[in-house]
Amino acid sequence: MKKLHKNSKQGFFWKKDIDIRTIILIVVLVALAMFFGFVDKFFFTFKNIDVMAILAPEMGLMGLGMALSLMLNGVNLSINNGANLSALISGLFLINIAPIFGGGNVVISIGITVIIAIGVGILCGLLNGFLIGYLKIQAIIATLATMIVFSGISEAITGGKSLTNFPHELQVISTGAIGGIPIPFLIFLAMVIIVYIILEFTSLGFEIQMVGTNPIAAQFSGINVRLVIMETYILSNVLGSLSGIIVMSFTNSVSYEYGTGTYILLALLISVLAGVTPGFGSTLGVFLATLIFEVLSSGFQMLLSGLNGSSFFTDFSWGIFFIGILIIVNLAQKVQNRT
Amino acid sequence: MERVVKTYEFALFIALIGFSMVIGFVKPAFFSISTIFNILDNSVTYTIMGFGVLIVLLSGEIDISFVAIAALSSYATNMLLLSWGYTGGISFYLIIGAIFGALLGLAEGLIVTKFNIPTFFVSLGYQILLYGFTLFFLGSTYNFNLPPGLTNYYSEFLIRVKNPFGAETSLNVPVLYLLIIAIAMWLLLRYTLFGRGLYAIGGDREAAKRVGFPVKRIILLALIINGILASIAGNIQNASNGYFDPTLFRGNDLNVIAYVIIGGASILGGRGSVIGVVLGVIFIQVLDLGVIYMGISADWQQLFIGLALVIALSASTLPSILRRIQE
Repeated sequence: MKKLHKNSKQGFFWKKDIDIRTIILIVVLVALAMFFGFVDKFFFTFKNIDVMAILAPEMGLMGLGMALSLMLNGVNLSINNGANLSALISGLFLINIAPIFGGGNVVISIGITVIIAIGVGILCGLLNGFLIGYLKIQAIIATLATMIVFSGISEAITGGKSLTNFPHELQVISTGAIGGIPIPFLIFLAMVIIVYIILEFTSLGFEIQMVGTNPIAAQFSGINVRLVIMETYILSNVLGSLSGIIVMSFTNSVSYEYGTGTYILLALLISVLAGVTPGFGSTLGVFLATLIFEVLSSGFQMLLSGLNGSSFFTDFSWGIFFIGILIIVNLAQKVQNRT
Repeated sequence: MERVVKTYEFALFIALIGFSMVIGFVKPAFFSISTIFNILDNSVTYTIMGFGVLIVLLSGEIDISFVAIAALSSYATNMLLLSWGYTGGISFYLIIGAIFGALLGLAEGLIVTKFNIPTFFVSLGYQILLYGFTLFFLGSTYNFNLPPGLTNYYSEFLIRVKNPFGAETSLNVPVLYLLIIAIAMWLLLRYTLFGRGLYAIGGDREAAKRVGFPVKRIILLALIINGILASIAGNIQNASNGYFDPTLFRGNDLNVIAYVIIGGASILGGRGSVIGVVLGVIFIQVLDLGVIYMGISADWQQLFIGLALVIALSASTLPSILRRIQE
């Protein structure tokens, strides 16, 4: 289905020499930022950069989770609905149970909320990993089924209504900042670094690369393929849950159908743009791709603010840039191969 | 006969019958002509799109932009034909739409084959691009403007049947198109060089290339046919709805692919059949209708459908697990 690039220098090797895709992504990002900064002087204001740093992580975290599943030659379609479900369960805790005992202490109740969300993420990942790793169901239908299950659970619990009226303190997660950097962005950055360390320096990372490139060879070399798949999908869904928490805090509500349809597609766009293929993936690429999408949407939103349906033009531009960058990377790699 | 019994499609058919039996046992009202008509009517557009998905999957590629092609080509067709002052029925819609669909499929195919990028990657961007184009440049609202020949399309029936209580149930015309397209697809896959080529390049691309199959041209043609089928499905769906929707089928891309895979196609290419697609779509429709007949409240329906899918998928792996234990 997806061919490995012959000269792929991601994953294992990109720390030795930065590959051509990373350079192209950086160039595109800088060029876009300069273009929007030149056209609209508000683009580089502190406020706009702040907003972008708050908005980018929700997409980026899902992109990171999606990238992990793509590295195993699978896909995690349930990541968005798993995120909604974990936000919902932890939100229910925050509204109904937290005031009973943790009431006064904000830090503890929000801390427990985050832990519950991660716990639900682990459970979601367990189900995915079991279906894909142990029962060997194709990832695309297994996660489609769990996607329906997760959103079904959320819908059954809430009766289709969205959950609101969270304690005011929850907004700290999305509006707070440490040293001037918004907390969502710090979470995203931390996760990018953690995933990078896992992929490059742990045995799990090595096993993911092995299983992704050739599961049968991995099996014969003594790797517990099923366990690797299980662990990866758990990690993938936990990243989604973190995104769910940020969305819950930012919008101050949880809806079972938030982002349905569009978020999966965007997460896929980000990880493909980052050059993730089975066995190979660069977390730096995911980071850069996320920023490109955020700059594009923020930039066009400003430029076309008066115009009707400017978000549709953003979609259009995403598609154009995505295909354009794929073509440029492809041509550049061809040139590189020749020399 | 034995060859038929051993196929995946036959197992799916048996599962479908068994499943219907369970629903019918709980709610005898499920066994009626109107249920069958209902399921057939609801299956038409998804099955037609499913055929396009099947062709692309067979070749070893994955496309998810067909939903956007369906939306764009049908919405544009309606705008074009209205501006011409067209007053007739759906036939012209299907023809003009098919031209749009073919061109959109061709554009996608050229990007895929010229630059050697996997179809899945291109189609990700292509889908979001096409929906964005439709919504921004063509229109972002439902278009209720239809030519006179099309306004009553939802009530053009193929067959009418009176049930014992005097009420009338009817089967819509598009089922006929589905039948024609299904037969055409079956012939195409079975008796043409293109059809055999699809299976060949999906099974082992390198070997097919050595034998002399023009891999790129086959993929290009597969994407064009995919576009044509999507445009037909789009026009039929919009005409039956009675309005043209610029976001038609948005978010249904993966569902349709899942139906085709449930119908026995492999995501890796080289395996799948026309009858499998039909059964896969009907299986989901029976599931959807089943939860309604079982009297499950609306909020819980999705959960039950999801759980039923998980159980069905898990059950389908039982034979291979048993085999592994035996060894």
